[in-house]
Amino acid sequence: MDDYVSIQGLTKRFDDVVAVHDVSLNIRQGEIFALLGSSGCGKSTLLRCLAGFEVPSDGRVLLDGEPLASSEPHERPVNMMFQSYALFPHMTVESNVAFGLKQDRLPKAELRERVDAMLELVQLTELRRRKPHQLSGGQQQRVALARSLVKRPKLLLLDEPMGALDRKLRSRMQFEVAAIIERLGVTCMMVTHDQDEAMTMADRIAIMDAGRIVQIGTPDEIYEQPNCRFSAEFIGSVNLFDGTVADDERDHVTITTDDLESSLYVGHGITGYEGMAVAFALRPEKLFIARENPGRLHNQAHGRVEEIGYLGSHSVYHVRLDRGKLIQVITLNNERWAADRLRWGDAVWVHWDDEAGVVLTS
Amino acid sequence: MNLLRRWLPDRRWGVIAPPFLWLSLFFVIPFALVFKISLSEMAIAQPPYVPLLEYLDGVLNVRLNFGNYTWLFDDPLYADAYLSSLGIAAWSTVICLAIGYPMAYAISKMRGSLQNLCLLLVVLPSWTSLLIRVYAWMGILKNDGIINNVLLAVGLIAEPLRLLNTTGAVYVGIVYAYLPFMVLPLYANLTRMDPRLLEAAADLGARPLTRFLRITLPLSVGGVIAGSMLVFIPAVGEFVVPELLGGNEATMIGKVLWGEFFANRDWPVASAVATLMLLVLILPILLFHRYQSRELEVAR
Repeated sequence: MDDYVSIQGLTKRFDDVVAVHDVSLNIRQGEIFALLGSSGCGKSTLLRCLAGFEVPSDGRVLLDGEPLASSEPHERPVNMMFQSYALFPHMTVESNVAFGLKQDRLPKAELRERVDAMLELVQLTELRRRKPHQLSGGQQQRVALARSLVKRPKLLLLDEPMGALDRKLRSRMQFEVAAIIERLGVTCMMVTHDQDEAMTMADRIAIMDAGRIVQIGTPDEIYEQPNCRFSAEFIGSVNLFDGTVADDERDHVTITTDDLESSLYVGHGITGYEGMAVAFALRPEKLFIARENPGRLHNQAHGRVEEIGYLGSHSVYHVRLDRGKLIQVITLNNERWAADRLRWGDAVWVHWDDEAGVVLTS
Repeated sequence: MNLLRRWLPDRRWGVIAPPFLWLSLFFVIPFALVFKISLSEMAIAQPPYVPLLEYLDGVLNVRLNFGNYTWLFDDPLYADAYLSSLGIAAWSTVICLAIGYPMAYAISKMRGSLQNLCLLLVVLPSWTSLLIRVYAWMGILKNDGIINNVLLAVGLIAEPLRLLNTTGAVYVGIVYAYLPFMVLPLYANLTRMDPRLLEAAADLGARPLTRFLRITLPLSVGGVIAGSMLVFIPAVGEFVVPELLGGNEATMIGKVLWGEFFANRDWPVASAVATLMLLVLILPILLFHRYQSRELEVAR
């Protein structure tokens, strides 16, 4: 089911500020969908509209074919894991998890069974009688997850799920939480400002900016095929060359740019015209760096190493091209003792393949 | 060096000393004096009691008189006064809670500027002396006071109701005087509460009443206890309100204390009354502290 959750033309205004602007998107059943954007882009407001804490000014939301708009938060088949969890401090782990089921007046035996199963799933059976303040951050997060999953919601909402964890724990929990959600087959929408988190956990990502959706796609689509400057710059780092289309053929394009001596050769056609102003986006790891001149006709440049960031698994080089543009190059440190490592101030050549970059028309 | 350090005052004393000195100076020492007087005998003298210690002909005489305490237990007047004080204070606390909780709750839900205004209104009466405000209540409650005049004019009653000099008037006065002490700690507690907890409860299917009963109320127990103690403890020893509004109807321990000190000039019995009152109040105070320290532990 491709439109299990269907958000149609949703708009939310606060007085005269438009927080969410005419957003339409569909979420598939069983999918983890991430809304990615910087703070204030409207992603949390959109999430709160789905939870029922905010009433949309316009548009509607269908969940499994049923409209959500008018129902109160406590009537929706939607549960949310809150940022920094909002666990009930006066209740034990067990009571926190059982709270939602108690509201449904479930028979005692079934309630116990479901709470037990959920605690088992998030590996908190041993800590069931603890209070939230007696738990570590990661354990609290698992309580929050269990609490929001125990009612088997049709849609699970995660608000900055890793926001309250430290870095090390974060990357471990990203996999763990995603694995639990996938195991239960719950449809999930998460909101985050952390692109690693979105890319690790989500099946598809929507990039949001100023209340609008900029691009929707799988993590690799978003990374490798950004559809505009904003997406390209928002996810990862990118080298952008401004230029104009010099030659627009079916199977290739050449672009002239002030930043390079030779023109750019792109090995695929674009929807554009000759003389069109475009930007060419090139991810730093798609570049090769060497002391020798590769001797190519296109797609190479000469420069000087200005900065080197050694990050263990890879190194980041800042190279000042002869025409003055500063670009980033990332190389994998796949040899333990490279004899001929580049140093500060070295004159170098960078080059890239014809298919390495993306032409951005907006 | 280590030995020296052991005998020199620890740096931590710098922090502990001021409250310690404060408490010693204004609580422990005065209480010790009162306790000492309660163990002596009344005398027609200046001061009006016999000293505890006497040094005569190389003999140190210590005379401890427990008669004042046995007297308190022998005369039912005192037991009655204690019990009625505790009863009036307890019921006043319950009434304050019943009025104060909804007030504090409503204020905590208002928007910022309105909150400050309402808090100001709660505190404002305390800027005038309690005595004057209680006199004002006398004007409202007396036979030709505002309430009776209005009721007579409307024709609801044929002759004035006796409102002043009743136990009811004492309740009105105490609740009126101590309501801010209930509202303020409750307000402080309720505004501190994380609104996301209520959202989480709503998200999990709890209706508004359930959210209040299962989340707001249990999390405000600290405020309820603090407010109740701030009302109950001073209300037990209240003197002004029963004296001015209660007439002969309400014998509260504060009035008895006053009578012993100033009317009978029996300082030793008055001191014994005061000491016993403190002992009676120690239990709720200790309970309060135990709860508070547990709260602090949770907050950490």
